[in-house]
Amino acid sequence: MSFNGPIDESYPTPTAADQATLSHTRKGFKISARKLPISKSGPIDKMTEKLGIPVPEMIFGDNMVSIEHLESGWHLEFNAFDALDRVDKTDKNMLKVAYSSEWTKSRENTHDGIKEVVKPFDWSYSTDYKGTVVKGKDFTEDESEPIPIALLKRQDPILFFEEVVLYESELDDNGVSILSCKLRVMPNRMLLLCRLFMRLDDVLVRIRDTRIYVDFDTGKVIRDYTEREDAFDKVKKSLVFSGKLPNDLTIAMRDPNQIAHLIPEVKHTLESLVVP
Amino acid sequence: MVKDLDKAIAQLRACRPIPEAQVRELCHKARELLIEEGNVVTVTAPVTICGDIHGQFHDLMELFRVGGDVPDTNYLFMGDFVDRGFYSLESFLLLLCLKVRYPDRMTLIRGNHESRQITTVYGFYDECLRKYGSANVWRYCCEVFDYLALGAIVLGASSNLQPASETSTGTQSKNNVTSTREYNEADIEIEVLNAEGDILHRFPRKKGQANNVIQRSPNKSSSPVKTGPPGSGASGSSGGSVGNSSGAVLCVHGGLSPLIDTVDKIRLLDRKQEVPHEGAMCDLLWSDPDEIEGWGLSPRGAGFLFGADIVTTFNHNNDLSMIARAHQLVMEGFKEMFDNSIVTVWSAPNYCYRCGNVAAILELGEDGGVENLRSNGDAGRSNGASSVLAFRDKERVPGPARRYRVFQAAPQDSRGMPAKKPVADYFL
Repeated sequence: MSFNGPIDESYPTPTAADQATLSHTRKGFKISARKLPISKSGPIDKMTEKLGIPVPEMIFGDNMVSIEHLESGWHLEFNAFDALDRVDKTDKNMLKVAYSSEWTKSRENTHDGIKEVVKPFDWSYSTDYKGTVVKGKDFTEDESEPIPIALLKRQDPILFFEEVVLYESELDDNGVSILSCKLRVMPNRMLLLCRLFMRLDDVLVRIRDTRIYVDFDTGKVIRDYTEREDAFDKVKKSLVFSGKLPNDLTIAMRDPNQIAHLIPEVKHTLESLVVP
Repeated sequence: MVKDLDKAIAQLRACRPIPEAQVRELCHKARELLIEEGNVVTVTAPVTICGDIHGQFHDLMELFRVGGDVPDTNYLFMGDFVDRGFYSLESFLLLLCLKVRYPDRMTLIRGNHESRQITTVYGFYDECLRKYGSANVWRYCCEVFDYLALGAIVLGASSNLQPASETSTGTQSKNNVTSTREYNEADIEIEVLNAEGDILHRFPRKKGQANNVIQRSPNKSSSPVKTGPPGSGASGSSGGSVGNSSGAVLCVHGGLSPLIDTVDKIRLLDRKQEVPHEGAMCDLLWSDPDEIEGWGLSPRGAGFLFGADIVTTFNHNNDLSMIARAHQLVMEGFKEMFDNSIVTVWSAPNYCYRCGNVAAILELGEDGGVENLRSNGDAGRSNGASSVLAFRDKERVPGPARRYRVFQAAPQDSRGMPAKKPVADYFL
């Protein structure tokens, strides 16, 4: 980069980070969410260097959601940097866009000299991020107790609700890869869902969900991680069989909520811990 | 016809779609107009260059507020009018109406989203279906897409920064512009203004770069006379002889192609088709600059990346001082790379209504008219100074003075939709 000088317009304001953080404290747990604009060139360059891979074009480097147990200091956070650090930085898991072979074939004769793939890495930004334990004890495997869905289905009042995007890439107009967090706090419990939704058009659909369930009364924290994955065409077919009209298919393919249940599970782990 | 067109423009400015029959007529007229344009349109400065819009209609209105209205301001839009935003239809049809109404003040070139395949996936198709109940309007628009030019060459851009012209929001009085200020402006290569026209940054031309053209004699500062093109002024003249014209600027949506080594090769392409998945036309709309040497393949398995040396060689061989392109989101609204030889301009603020980024437009001033292109005679005439070819032997053609106007998204209330607050739901 060779700009003549730094651009530093006052947008957002320097105090924005504090102002943009919303918190809610409930029964000794402090739940926070911070939403700010996408990162500027300076922070992006730094992040790229530190990560060793290019960052997605929509990188919300200042965003985060966190759960803190005030008494013990136990602190779990979800942020973009740590999530991207878990993206494969080698060429081992590289996907190819749908028309890649067609494209490559047409180039074979004309551009023999151009063979080198620039910075190979998993450009679909498929992370298996489950959050960062900033302070305190870590989770241990524990298949004994799943997240109590029945309790979460009850229409208890929602005291605090936030949705925060950590990063998003349009995959150069070949689909989408978005990592976002959603959380809701009820009087006695809370649920946080951190979801990676990756759709490579005409190739593949991936949904990777990390759910954090906290029981405020017992201090039990459950972490459920599920990977779902299927071929693009198969997901589309499942949508047709489920009764979707042809005109609604593209819209459904953009919405993980409409397709998650149709995609087979390929990996599942269950962990827990108790604070303090 | 003009009356109908003005009526359609007024209606679209209010963000109300025009009837299907009128769209059909408009697209027909636009095609007749565009078919006459070459693959590379020649545009004469002054011109305001804009990047991606992506259906963000209210932000397009903000762009016109900041950059000046059509036809007062001469515009060049580098594609990606549609998809992603909620008002692709209104945005594109308004731009198209303005093109038909003021053909010489509005240049539209094709982006990778101006394609059947991409609009089917990323929103424009669905939007047309929703707003008209059929895909007819989408089809008419796609036919226009096929006729859009692939690039533009801006000629006659000044290497001197001229005082910012009054836009509708201009507040400063220009009466107190002193000769001192004029002198200072002559040294400025890049100026960044906010939406209200206040100066955020100014960057002087680097010493030793681009032929030390900008050296205005102070005692001549009150006179607007500008002399000699660069090359002539730079070749050893003493004092007062100054060049103020810069090399040409190539505008294209994505970037370069390994199949294209001259601008003339772009002119030879058969552009009247859907954007292909491969070949030169595809590259021009899809490729990206990157910090690499030479050409590289995108890790995605399709698409090219090009490095600084590619741009330098291309600019040199084609007598260009700069390439302006869009296609990639840049948080500051614009980003110059490779020693200022290429710039990305992005004109969709708060992209997708949630990125919180600013947008920018790029203004290139005129070099002061044809008579000033003539050399003042004391130097450089033998170089054939009135032709851009004169720069061939030079290290580098001087870049035009660039004025970027940076702006934020239109205020929420002008958008006619409620601010997006997350709605609590019982997700599992």
